[in-house]
Amino acid sequence: MDRQQAEIKLKQIFGFDRFYDEQWETIDLLFRGKRVLLIEKTGFGKSLCFQFPATQFDGLTIIFSPLIALMRDQVKGLKENGINAKFINSEQTAEENSQTIQDAINGKLKILYIAPERQENQEWIQATRQMNLSMIVIDEAHTISVWGHDFRPAFRRIINLIQLLPKNMPVLATTATATKRVQVDIEKQISNDITTLRGRLIRDNFNLYVISVKSEDEKLIWLAENLNRIEGTGIIYTGTRVNTEIYSRWFEYLKINATEYNAGLDGETRKEVENGLMSNKWKAVISTNALGMGIDKPDIRFLIHTQIPASPIHYYQEIGRAGRDGKPTTIILFYNSSKDDKGIEEDYKLPKAFIDGDRPSLNKYNKVINAVKSEQFGERQIMKATNLKQTQVRVIKADLIEQGIIKEVIYGRSKKYEYQFAAPELNTKAFEELRELKLKELESMLEYVNLNTSRMEFLCEYLGDTIPDKIENCDNTNLQRIISNPQPDTINLLSDFRETYFPELRVESRGSNIVNGIAASYYGVSNVGAALSRSKYQNGGDFPDFLLKLTLKAFRKQYGQELFDLIVYVPPTESGDLVKNFAEKISRVLKVPISHNLVKIGKTQPQKVFENGYLKRDNVEGMFAFNNPEQINGKNVILFDDIFDSGATIKEIGKMLTNNGASKIAPLIIARTVGGDI
Amino acid sequence: MNEELSYWLALAHLPKLRTNKKNEIIVRLFEEQKTIIDFFHFEPKQWKDNYELNQNEILLFQDAIKELSNYAFMVEDLLEQGYSILPITSPEYSPILKKNLGRTYAPTLIYTKGNKAIMKEKSVAIVGSRNADKVSLDFTDNIAKTASKNYKVIVSGFAKGVDKQALDSALKYKGQSIIVLPQGISTFNSGFKKYYKHIIDGDVMVLSTFYPKATWSVGLAMARNPIIYGLATEIFVAESSSKGGTWSGVVDGLRKGRKIFVRKPDFNEKNANNELIQKGAISVDAKGNVLSYEQQTVLSQKIVSETDPNDVEYKIIELLKKGVFTSKQIVETLKLDWSSRKVSTFLKEQSEIITVKGKPLKYAHKERTVQSQKTLFDLK
Repeated sequence: MDRQQAEIKLKQIFGFDRFYDEQWETIDLLFRGKRVLLIEKTGFGKSLCFQFPATQFDGLTIIFSPLIALMRDQVKGLKENGINAKFINSEQTAEENSQTIQDAINGKLKILYIAPERQENQEWIQATRQMNLSMIVIDEAHTISVWGHDFRPAFRRIINLIQLLPKNMPVLATTATATKRVQVDIEKQISNDITTLRGRLIRDNFNLYVISVKSEDEKLIWLAENLNRIEGTGIIYTGTRVNTEIYSRWFEYLKINATEYNAGLDGETRKEVENGLMSNKWKAVISTNALGMGIDKPDIRFLIHTQIPASPIHYYQEIGRAGRDGKPTTIILFYNSSKDDKGIEEDYKLPKAFIDGDRPSLNKYNKVINAVKSEQFGERQIMKATNLKQTQVRVIKADLIEQGIIKEVIYGRSKKYEYQFAAPELNTKAFEELRELKLKELESMLEYVNLNTSRMEFLCEYLGDTIPDKIENCDNTNLQRIISNPQPDTINLLSDFRETYFPELRVESRGSNIVNGIAASYYGVSNVGAALSRSKYQNGGDFPDFLLKLTLKAFRKQYGQELFDLIVYVPPTESGDLVKNFAEKISRVLKVPISHNLVKIGKTQPQKVFENGYLKRDNVEGMFAFNNPEQINGKNVILFDDIFDSGATIKEIGKMLTNNGASKIAPLIIARTVGGDI
Repeated sequence: MNEELSYWLALAHLPKLRTNKKNEIIVRLFEEQKTIIDFFHFEPKQWKDNYELNQNEILLFQDAIKELSNYAFMVEDLLEQGYSILPITSPEYSPILKKNLGRTYAPTLIYTKGNKAIMKEKSVAIVGSRNADKVSLDFTDNIAKTASKNYKVIVSGFAKGVDKQALDSALKYKGQSIIVLPQGISTFNSGFKKYYKHIIDGDVMVLSTFYPKATWSVGLAMARNPIIYGLATEIFVAESSSKGGTWSGVVDGLRKGRKIFVRKPDFNEKNANNELIQKGAISVDAKGNVLSYEQQTVLSQKIVSETDPNDVEYKIIELLKKGVFTSKQIVETLKLDWSSRKVSTFLKEQSEIITVKGKPLKYAHKERTVQSQKTLFDLK
């Protein structure tokens, strides 16, 4: 098919008059059964480069994409053009996914989007035996390179697959962000016979700002004073999940129309937020960087980072989601440059901690290796045998599989990890090299923060793009710098907020009469944690009274004037009568009688000893009883404890009290930890 | 090599084409220095002219091409799970299997899991009935014991009775074993669980020649028998009835000219061992010793066996012609993957090698000893 013929079809199917030259170049190569790496900025029209040929092939085109939101958007768009497209991912039910697989087998689909992790699914692998395949596409191809940001181990398998495909099968890899090093790595992995097409990466509609602040509070205050003055709707990226919650509550308090989004939310809620974002339901969505990747919204008018990302590539990638319509777009990066006792800048710490925590210690790798050597183990069994966190076990597993030391083998419905005969020794050199690279990238990010020349030029150069002209679109060139200058009124507002904001504890579960509870504070983000720690571990005496005031305030906020019959408290493992004494004080103030009948019937370890939820649950399972069940039968009970971590203890007691007839169990806690496992 | 695997599966699992024809194509490609990838992308005319494919066969291959990408998914999955896929051209493919079955019968492709190196060791297959008598099981145990002591690998068909006994005994005597499956390699769940330790320690290798997802069937069990015989350098029959898998396997083996040892039964035993001996199998006693005059043939076979300069045994003998060494020194000098114990056992069996007393024991070649004495005398 020549270009003229293709453009006639293009008009018929997609309604566009013509291809860009780079698009046609790509499509033409694919028609000739070639392999192509296409590097073009967001908004270029990369999707058309595979969508169009897919409509012209007789078989199925499979698109491996890590982005669920993108799948949803693109499938919707394709269907509107009358093209049979579907996706398979974790958002759909198993039945829906099976139906999609059947449609693919029966030749009813032209385009199928699928997450790379699906390559581990046996139903999918079996089904691929029967599909008529025409083309394979790897979207966000930088994720196949360990040198790229957001490397996804699941893509390693896709690369293996590509190498096994027949030589005349067209393969397209696309990305908007690849440094030269990543580009070479992708080329090497996909095949010798690959053509790379690289476009210009400059985004001249951006207005780039960096705001230097001296405290976390300044960020909250600047946003309170200025967010509504920025045009349009946008996204605020906070570095952590817990910050999405805090920022979101702060805006709620200020009656700024905003909502939160993070990977901890359920699929339904996430979808709701994504849809709301599309329809400009909020001024801002406060999110971890999970949101926005692959969302096809052309008019995100501002994008604000409250923490620095891990590298200039991450930053370019993340801000690239804004302003795709080419209209002026505000891009702001906050940086808290105040220094701690050791002279380290505050905002350097979080990304540095991510790098440090990136790989578990060698000792932990050996624990996993030894566990797998002893027996065929599943993930849960490894966690139990090693007492490691799920996240750590997953990182270790991925590395060990990558190095050929263990394999993931599927038996029926279960996945087992097997040590390999004559397996190589663990190669830690690769880890160190990667760490070095990441530290270097973080330094480059700081360079961006402290830059006094054109910011866009810096980013383009960093990504290996050549810049012919001067680019003026930042606070170092043509725009006025933004200076943080907190107003006394806003400062007061923030301190009021701090005293009325309480973290919720989501513990409700089927078959238990426990309800979602409330904590007086986060453990780490205020002076509450320090006070608890003094009392518990440094013989500091009873918990101080300001905690009582705060805890009662939290109680009122969550439960209002609701009546309770009884207050019970979690019997301690190691901290004596602190919890009991505090519960007695609460009982006196609330005039709710206290019961000492909640007891431990077996020996438990302090929960903090255990690194993962399975072991925490095992530690407390069946370990509690209530001495006089009559006392709670049909009663509404307050369940008090000092610290809430995984929630395993509270849930276990909730279950036990439910079985003993309690009709409502309401948790009340002094402090909730941040980043509790699973 | 990996990039060829989808093509190999497409060829190996091509229906309605004899193994012989498949292997002939491979031989021809090898001669012309072409790859299997080249072959699949030839024009039909080339298939017809250079590879003598008829019209039906051309249609078969045209269908197979369409399935290449499907096989790619399957191969990726198998490799990811730690299975090995060995085409007949792979240096890791069992040389014994290739030699014994030849281009007519050697499977185009084998699937394995575990220590592939044991396919290069001398090997013993012990076969027999699923419900064999104690005397047959004891025989099996004897053979497995001797074989394991001599670092020979036991080939087992993983059926009940004799097969299972052969495997258990091999492991009991710290030997090594190849399990030949009557099913596809990815359906052996319970076995992989049971032999997990042995597999990761390198003592058990599992092998299948069938489509990986194929489940057990009588047909596959029968088709597996020649593979067991093919993988073995020596074949012992513990017990056979006059029909069934063992019987037809032995008859097939004899027809292909294999030397097969059959346990001489007692008068009161009800089995067909004697019939097999009459058909040309060699009778052995309960310990596996050859009875009567056939002993000579076995011995002579040993003597005439060709020497290969890469052969470990040959290298050891050659080394000892040059000097006196302990077994440990031999292993180190020649960088062998043998244990020193294995070297000792081997050397003690060799009539041309003598031991030099002392601790540790040293070995010398008779030729060298004579020479060195001469020198010694000359000096005087």
